[in-house]
Amino acid sequence: MADEIKIGAYVCKGCGLGERLNTGQLETTATRDGKAKFAKSHDFLCSADGVAMIQKDIDSGETNHVVIAACSRRAKAEAFAFKNVTISRANLREGVIWVRPDTAEAKETTQDMADDYVRMACAESKFQKQPAPSGEQTLCKEILVVGGGISGMTAALEAAKAGYPATIIEKSGQLGGVMAQLHRRVPTKAPYAQPEDTSVESLIAEISANKKVTVMLNAKVAKTDGAPGRFSVDIAVESGSVQNKMFGAIVQASGMKSFDANILTEFSYGKTPNVITQLELEALAKAANGGPIKRKDGKEVKSVVFVQCAGQRSTKPGHLSYCSGFCCTASIKQAMYFKDANPNVDTVVMYTDLRTPGAGGEDFYRSGQNKGVIFTKGVVNSVAPNGNDLTVNFKDLILDEEISMPADLVVLATGQLPNSGPDPYAVPMEADKNDAEAVAASKAAHEVAVSVESILNLNYRQGTDLPHLKHGFTDSHFICFPYETRRTGIYSAGPVRRPMDSWQATIDATGAAMKAILEAENAGKGMAAHPRSGDLSFPAFRKEGCTQCKRCTVECPFGAINEDERGYPQFNESRCRRCGTCMGACPVRVISFENYSVDTVGSQIKGVDMPDEFSEKPRILVLACENDAYPALDMAAQNKLEYSAFARVVPVRCLGSVNTIWLTDALNSGYDGVVLMGCQKGDDYQCHFVKGSEIAGVRMSKIGDTLKTLNLEEARVATYEVAITDVDRVPKLINDMAETVAKVGMSPFKF
Amino acid sequence: MTDVVATNETILVVGGGVSGMTAALEAAEAGKQVILVEKRAYVGGRVTQLYKYFPKLCFPTCGLEINQRRVKGNPNVTVLTMAEVSKLEGNAGNYSATIKISPRFVNSNCTACGDCERAVSAEYPDDYNYGMNKHKGAYRPYRMAYPERFVIDPRMIGTPDADKAKAACKYGAVDLNMKEEVLTLKVGAVIFATGWTPYDAAKIQPYGYDRFPNVISSVEFERMKDISGPTGGKVLRPSDGKEAKDIAFIQCAGSRDRNYLKHCSRICCMASLKQTTYVSEIEGGNSTIYYIDIRAIDRFEDFYQKVQADPKVKFIKSKPANITQDKDGNPIVNGVNTEGYHRYATAHDLVVLAVGMEPSIKGAMPEGVKITVNEHGFIENDGSNGGIFAAGCASDALDVNRAVQSATASALKAIQVINRVAGMEG
Amino acid sequence: MTDLNKQMVEQYRNSFLKEVEANVEEGEWVKMCMQCGVCSGSCPLGPYWDHPPQELFMMIRAGKREEVLASSSMWMCTSCYNCIARCPRELPITHIMHGLAHYAKRLGLAPKNQPTMKFSQKFWDNLMVTGRVNELKLGLSLYFMNGLVEGIKTSLKMKNIGLGMLLTKRMNPMEMLGGHSVKDKSGFKAMIKKAQELEAARIAKFKTP
Repeated sequence: MADEIKIGAYVCKGCGLGERLNTGQLETTATRDGKAKFAKSHDFLCSADGVAMIQKDIDSGETNHVVIAACSRRAKAEAFAFKNVTISRANLREGVIWVRPDTAEAKETTQDMADDYVRMACAESKFQKQPAPSGEQTLCKEILVVGGGISGMTAALEAAKAGYPATIIEKSGQLGGVMAQLHRRVPTKAPYAQPEDTSVESLIAEISANKKVTVMLNAKVAKTDGAPGRFSVDIAVESGSVQNKMFGAIVQASGMKSFDANILTEFSYGKTPNVITQLELEALAKAANGGPIKRKDGKEVKSVVFVQCAGQRSTKPGHLSYCSGFCCTASIKQAMYFKDANPNVDTVVMYTDLRTPGAGGEDFYRSGQNKGVIFTKGVVNSVAPNGNDLTVNFKDLILDEEISMPADLVVLATGQLPNSGPDPYAVPMEADKNDAEAVAASKAAHEVAVSVESILNLNYRQGTDLPHLKHGFTDSHFICFPYETRRTGIYSAGPVRRPMDSWQATIDATGAAMKAILEAENAGKGMAAHPRSGDLSFPAFRKEGCTQCKRCTVECPFGAINEDERGYPQFNESRCRRCGTCMGACPVRVISFENYSVDTVGSQIKGVDMPDEFSEKPRILVLACENDAYPALDMAAQNKLEYSAFARVVPVRCLGSVNTIWLTDALNSGYDGVVLMGCQKGDDYQCHFVKGSEIAGVRMSKIGDTLKTLNLEEARVATYEVAITDVDRVPKLINDMAETVAKVGMSPFKF
Repeated sequence: MTDVVATNETILVVGGGVSGMTAALEAAEAGKQVILVEKRAYVGGRVTQLYKYFPKLCFPTCGLEINQRRVKGNPNVTVLTMAEVSKLEGNAGNYSATIKISPRFVNSNCTACGDCERAVSAEYPDDYNYGMNKHKGAYRPYRMAYPERFVIDPRMIGTPDADKAKAACKYGAVDLNMKEEVLTLKVGAVIFATGWTPYDAAKIQPYGYDRFPNVISSVEFERMKDISGPTGGKVLRPSDGKEAKDIAFIQCAGSRDRNYLKHCSRICCMASLKQTTYVSEIEGGNSTIYYIDIRAIDRFEDFYQKVQADPKVKFIKSKPANITQDKDGNPIVNGVNTEGYHRYATAHDLVVLAVGMEPSIKGAMPEGVKITVNEHGFIENDGSNGGIFAAGCASDALDVNRAVQSATASALKAIQVINRVAGMEG
Repeated sequence: MTDLNKQMVEQYRNSFLKEVEANVEEGEWVKMCMQCGVCSGSCPLGPYWDHPPQELFMMIRAGKREEVLASSSMWMCTSCYNCIARCPRELPITHIMHGLAHYAKRLGLAPKNQPTMKFSQKFWDNLMVTGRVNELKLGLSLYFMNGLVEGIKTSLKMKNIGLGMLLTKRMNPMEMLGGHSVKDKSGFKAMIKKAQELEAARIAKFKTP
């Protein structure tokens, strides 16, 4: 890229811009105020002709910083996707003419607005650089799979089949995990009528035949260093040897743990060997191998009762509040073990809600009924030993009465627990290291957490393992993006992620392998992962200015930043999701992206023409999240909802990237109000960078002090949670601020 | 003429809903060439018609914005809208797909300025809102529609309004002579992400969907909550436009029933639980859920428990026998609460039928290759379909989260085929 | 307790469901019920049932033998087939109800003086004589089912209808004298015998070893 910045500004006259605005004046503004090398206008800029005009200027070296003064950056993105230049968009359509009335009185302020957006785009352009490779990129196609159960084996095989070598690390002496302990599994194919082979043996055979899959048994991850594309993993084998391997991405398929049924004293678990868990029944069924199933004491089981939701869907202490999702079909399958061996065995499934969703689930339920399995909607109160046998006392919810039933064997459907490592955020990471109290609290929490063994042993500033979402599962919070955990390049699969059965685990593992492959490829190109997929920019910092305050390393929602021995941040490009929360956090403003920095936004704020105190033309700065608030503003414009001509909207990657200096500068330079629009925070957060809006909330709560020092009213700064659907609300929020300004008066800081 | 380059290293994704977009984008971001074929005039599919997602109660367009941005920024994905695959022949690594593209009558010059819409007066029932309102003859399918381009309703062609639309466009974007196009493309692997169709509630005769105005379907209820939807975000009774407060939800309306759909549609329990939260927001609003089993698996159980704790929501274990109507147009739900045998005949302001999911591919399979489907019409991913895979609700009744999971997996399956063609396999 | 009843109690001990499967027409469908309750709600006579079909099915599974067989509920069924049409699980509920009633009668457990049962018996007896239903005799036998006084009262009440039927030749008073029969009476008997054999064979097939 040429050193000299040559801004070319292109003003579109289409979509009514030519009629509503003085585009000649906009061109002048671009060259005079925006310091553009030249400005041109076109009747229809996004047309083939308009685009060709710009391309020609780029090709001839006339411009390397393109400013498009036309519609929203969300519109016509493909038409204006020029390569090898920076692109800034001045939003004159959705941002100006569509939100302003077409009246003579409004003409002046509308033109002011457009002129400002041109100034802002030029100012941004001046400070933008084209993202250049960091030199950190490494393409490593090796995929590490932690766990050798059905999820892990599937992930490794599926990756290998696509040409990506995979290494399975299994802590036990054999592959197969929990599935290997099962006699049969719930059917995965039509007609979904009969238990089928677990597929463990065929998977193991496939793995040993596949040269691209390496299996390490009795092995653990001793340490994981690095980042996607260059994960450096120490693998400790039981014999004591440790070897180091490089991986591009990681799939964590560490599986499930069984619920400890010993707390279920009401069901006499532990008191009699004839009350067992589903997993224990699998062992009996395996031993019987299709013949009559016998109890521990050798008696052939003639009647069996399955107690669903044992210790689950319950708020009692020690119980699981969630539903494990797989146990209803598992009990049907197990009842079939008995029925298939001897149709005269009485099998009763006691349930409150029978959960066999999907096409296969309901088919399998019917198949169970057809085999004579009895389903009783009832709540089991107790299971009591009755000589060598048992009595099941339950309330039949249909017949509305307490009933007792004898049984030779009772099987408890006790559900799954995730086999996850310790949660890095068991204590809020916002705790500042300088805060003694927080450090103490954090230490205390980690002492408790030590009892949980780490699985990945990540050498990350923010803990050793994948963060938990809820109940210990390492799931993502996103409905639309289920794999996006808070550790880039590490994807969890199978029941460690969410309670699931083996078929779902197989699909899940295949998906996780896809994500791992994609991230290995991304890391090789220096591209960001979700949600800024393909972004080549990444944060860098000016070491000489850094005060080692560690705010960036603590606040990064993705644990991307480590610290070196002197406390300086170590950015890891491929772990970074490019949200800019570090940039927002930095009190000395030394962190920036090539195309998004304190300056690119700061210069836009300063680029706005500031009319004097007596002009009756206040200025309101709106910082809007690019994913939700900005589209909402666009759609409000589509609907021609008007808002104040005094607003100047700047899209930000995330509210978390907002550095308070922008606000201080804005207020100092005469802005009369500031509106911040971010995403919902809290348990059901909608922030795509997880913590961005929450962190911004904390920072903004302190802005009151700044306002006080400036002797400004607190009402001049407002922070809102805005959803993409708040189309009617966003203009109102801006207008509210305009009213507030009208009430409290113009800022005294105009020069 | 639509210009599309495809080879046997190209992946064809049929269906541009959340599953199709996911499958296409995951493959494209991994460097593969993808052609995404969507029947509607825009991508995003059925989730764009939902107000909120369970269990987070967040907005589907939020994730869609990200996926649309991924599409805009990725040259590896070619999106063909208003297009359908009519024929598919060949085998893994070597398919030939025939794609029919219906005329949009608006070309890529469109700037979505809306002048054509303002110029015409003709109106047609709006499928996006299940016919609950009308759209103009020149229209933006919905406010976030991508590609951001207007559509001319084919019913308007040949009328003076069509000429008005053409005259109003300053950019030559309205092309009334556009014809159906047929493309034949070579592709290596195919992902069917054809999604689902709400079960036709009128077929459930005893519930009177076709006879009683205040019996509506769950998908229609969802449209009511959209502020730019047919009722402006309010839950209004179709019979008299009054705000509905006492609302009944009937589960398994068409599902788990050999008379209609034999399978469990999985999502409807959670969808109704979600919709009760809309009702609880209404002043004086209360909900009654008539159900057989509440299927709130895994973490969804937390949401179920939250709703159970809401005193405004009542649960009755019963598949209602039928619905009648009183003289004020209130639907009366009749049946037996099976927990202890209690008969009921309860009048509500509005009844919402939690309609089941029918795989859209059912009865709409392209001719040519044989694809294994189960008795419910879902495509079986059982390894018997060569280089053809099903993603999302083409494979089973799935919620969004599981559909995306399935779509991500299908992308890898397709990549395996492509890499085999390219000699990159393991 | 009848002998058959004793035998069945002994044979099936605590599995009433198996007993029903083996002995009740279409009884093998009882296990397929998923307790949705649509049959119970759909029955036009629903309010008159002590135990609606879906509850009867649950009672069968719960082994409530006496309560089920002595119940008058299944005798309420008028064969409108609403339940069969609506049942999401395809249970032939009407047939099961008749099957249960029939079985209860066979075992001598049906409620005494159950009107539907009495009518059914009279219908059967009437039918067996000639192979055709003699409506006049059947009607009168019904009127006098509960004694002479009751019979006269009912007959007087129905007088006008009877006269009307006579006038329009819908009823032939000569039928009182034996009435006409099917053409092939021995063939009819053979047919009934065969049906009974088939039923017995079906029951035998289900018998547990």
